Amino acid sequence: MDHFEGINFSEMWCGIESAPGYLKPVVKVATGGTTGSSLAICGYYNVASGIYKNILVIGWEKLNEGGATTGIITAFDPVWERPSLAGALGPLALMAGMYSAKYGITPEQAAKVTVKNRSNAANNPFAHLQMPNITIDYVMSSQMISYPLRLHDVCPQSEGACAIIYANEEETKKITDNPAWVKSVATSHYYTFGTDDKMYDLPTATMASKKVYKKAGIKDPIRDLDVAEIYEPTSWSELAWTEALGFAEPGQGGKLLDEGITQMSGELPVNPSGGVLSTNPIGATALVRVAEAAIQVMGRGEKRQIPDVETALAMGFGGSLWTELLILGKEKLR
Amino acid sequence: MSRKKGQEKIFEIKWKTDLPYRYSIGKLAVKFFEELKKNKKIYGSKCPKCGKVNFPPRAVCADCFVEMTLSDMVELPPKGTLEGFTVVNYPFVDPQTGGMRPFPYGYALLKLDGADTYTMHFVNETDYTKLKVGQRVEAVFKEEREGNMGDIPYFKVIKEEE
Ligand SMILES: [Zn+2]
Repeated sequence: MDHFEGINFSEMWCGIESAPGYLKPVVKVATGGTTGSSLAICGYYNVASGIYKNILVIGWEKLNEGGATTGIITAFDPVWERPSLAGALGPLALMAGMYSAKYGITPEQAAKVTVKNRSNAANNPFAHLQMPNITIDYVMSSQMISYPLRLHDVCPQSEGACAIIYANEEETKKITDNPAWVKSVATSHYYTFGTDDKMYDLPTATMASKKVYKKAGIKDPIRDLDVAEIYEPTSWSELAWTEALGFAEPGQGGKLLDEGITQMSGELPVNPSGGVLSTNPIGATALVRVAEAAIQVMGRGEKRQIPDVETALAMGFGGSLWTELLILGKEKLR
Repeated sequence: MSRKKGQEKIFEIKWKTDLPYRYSIGKLAVKFFEELKKNKKIYGSKCPKCGKVNFPPRAVCADCFVEMTLSDMVELPPKGTLEGFTVVNYPFVDPQTGGMRPFPYGYALLKLDGADTYTMHFVNETDYTKLKVGQRVEAVFKEEREGNMGDIPYFKVIKEEE
């Protein structure tokens, strides 16, 4: 993203010719953490509207070349917020502490998210941090980087890219007999100042999920979804935001995990890919959620495949505390 | 930018540049900074329709989309409550200065007494075991004030008689 690498025309740096976009219309979309899900939704609109038959959507990031924390600070209010803001992790740490204080969620419960996701990542050849033998103790004894967030409660900085082909119904037949169909999409915004939202109850996730569930005919997400790829920049976020998405009542995200519902073998596995806690090339991160949801629907997940996936949810979360959601399915929405 | 072990030394060009911006903070924030500088006072804005008190002051109510004017500004006490806190303990470049932001530092989400919205600011405690959600805090003012947020360098944790 231009903002993080500190360069202009980042699409040129990523190699339009190799994309291959040479002499073809190119649109750049950058919305912070949600970049990947904005790309996914724009890709869907471009094809579903009938403007294009076939398009390639690419998300990428080379965090080694820039400073994400510095870039993120510049996105916030220069007078009231920038002086004390410490990028994304500061507010995510505030959120984790408030969530813990309100509902009694423990660091052990948060550590279990990292253990789940990074051991899932060991089944994903594309994941950055693959830790098949990770333990709760290992997470809980890692360095405190912003209380209550320890090093392993937090996503890494990754380099990477992700690409998805969108095609209309006719073109799809030429590409595959086993596509993933987009059933519904939603974007929700909320705040003026970052402090309008305490983040653990992420109102935009609740707003967006109500919209996508309604459009896709989902009444009970635990029952009607088969897998979810959610955007969890920290272990605590996964617990809190599974609540915001309606998987559990407020304060019950820890219980949801403790009961094994979000584990690989559970009723609604969350992040079989290893999630953001394992891989975080920011401009690609939310597109990876969509790609992984599509991989699950298409049955191409190999060691990370959940059996018989009909319907999958993908989530993007971004700096202005907005949420974007997509529901993909084996069956077309009629 | 970090270089990993074994990587050859890269050719680097370093430079510093000024990037001046003009940013309009609006009438309400102007009054806030004038009162802060001259009188050590903190002002928020109160929605004439729903009564929600905003600190920092803002010009439009986020709930009713009603505009607030200078006459809707209300004085708030310098005391409030810690709603959330952390101790930032990682290095990064501060875009405000171009240099590293000094760390560790206490970072808080707080609510002034009488305000309905939250604000983020520094708190002068770097030992997280000494901070607790719900603690009372008070603004510390600089003696020589310039009319910017640096005039309140931080909030300090206070003990109050119940
Ligand atoms: Zn109002």
